[in-house]
Amino acid sequence: MASMRQGWGIQVRVIHALIIRELITRFGRENIGFLWIMVEPLLFALLVGLLWRGMKGPLEFGLDIVAFVVTGYIPLVLFRSSIGRAVNAFTANGSFLYHRQIKILDLILVRFIVELIGHMMAYLFMALVLGALGFFPWPYDLGFLILGWFYYALFTLAVTLVIAPLSEMSEVLEKVIPVTVYMMIPFSGAFYLVSSLVPAAAEVVLYSPPVHAMEMMRYGVFGPSIDPQYDFSYPLAFSLPCLALGLLLCRKVRRRLVVE
Amino acid sequence: MIICENLSKSYPAGHGRKQILKNINLTIKPGERVALLGRNGAGKSTLIKQIGGVELPDRGRIIRTMTSSWPIGFNGGFQGSLTGYDNARFIARIYGVSYGEIREYVEDFTELGKSLGMPVKTYSSGMRARLAFALSLAIEFDCYLIDEVILVGDSKFQDRCREELFRKRADRALLIASHDMHIVLELCEKAIIIEDGLSYTYSSVQSAVDAYLEK
Repeated sequence: MASMRQGWGIQVRVIHALIIRELITRFGRENIGFLWIMVEPLLFALLVGLLWRGMKGPLEFGLDIVAFVVTGYIPLVLFRSSIGRAVNAFTANGSFLYHRQIKILDLILVRFIVELIGHMMAYLFMALVLGALGFFPWPYDLGFLILGWFYYALFTLAVTLVIAPLSEMSEVLEKVIPVTVYMMIPFSGAFYLVSSLVPAAAEVVLYSPPVHAMEMMRYGVFGPSIDPQYDFSYPLAFSLPCLALGLLLCRKVRRRLVVE
Repeated sequence: MIICENLSKSYPAGHGRKQILKNINLTIKPGERVALLGRNGAGKSTLIKQIGGVELPDRGRIIRTMTSSWPIGFNGGFQGSLTGYDNARFIARIYGVSYGEIREYVEDFTELGKSLGMPVKTYSSGMRARLAFALSLAIEFDCYLIDEVILVGDSKFQDRCREELFRKRADRALLIASHDMHIVLELCEKAIIIEDGLSYTYSSVQSAVDAYLEK
């Protein structure tokens, strides 16, 4: 029991130190510093939201269009940048492996946590600002919103854990990943409601775990009017084995990792 | 004690793999100062990385019953994009020691002054060596793994290294990879020659040096 507590203590120290290092190297200490982590997703979501509003008018599926786009786009950007940060994460951070208490899992976890915090902050900030201006509703069910985020984050982390070791094993994969991430857009559930799709299409997209998570989040924000389509167990049945596979691959790749 | 049993390690080379370490057996007892001799490319750094746990061997095992430092060299162990101070803070955090103490020690030992506030990638190799040494000596280990970097720099810094490593920490074990036979003869009590991926242990440093220089 004592050694477990000790191990936990080391784990917390390592993650803490790595997060601070990540924030300093990526964003520096100048001007707004680490707050930059939410600027990119914020700008992305806002610009795309305004673009849609300009093209399609103020409403989409009876919801405010900017709120609709923002709720879809920020999680999608989380997925995209998490994968981007996972590629070659071990090689880029090789010098950390000089310290035996830092495991390669910590390296992926830290990059993911920083992305997650940044995107959740962007989401919250956006909701508050749009809400104050009257373009974003008070969440219908906060619990569902959080649950949806949890499912979305779990899926993202699981995929990240698989991509990071694979990108070290194959150079082809490393080059192809950025393109395939774009293919995820229709399967992220960001730009439609499942209930608005034709049944055949709805059936297909529901094979994608993040669609379930997105529907939960949107239900949490907008309420039953969107007629959410989700399943509690399917996304887990996908993400958990994926997570396990990722852990196995990490273990395998650690053996052959060459550290400068 | 640190014991390596039948250690082997290869690196990818083109389509195949190059066998660097074939069958390494060695023991470092507490307080023992061991020299690691070998030509450039013989696998000294590779061996030190395996012992330090930076890389994992293909086969064989390493038994550690005492704590060992990370491999102390010009690279690794610190972050080029961070300043000297940030590196000290990072080391303090992950090893769970107080930053105040480390900071004081690093300032005093490296004598780098304002440069400690600059990114490490702007440092010369002499400055890096000073920082690497200071950071690792600021943490107490039973065994220090030193890769080439020992006693570089000016004579004042060399004296400082001797003082810290061989007098204040006379009870610690050391594994030193070095090409400087004077240092090896002066400081070590045992030597290991690495050649063709195999290890040869000599209990007399003089005979090891003679054998090494003959090759």
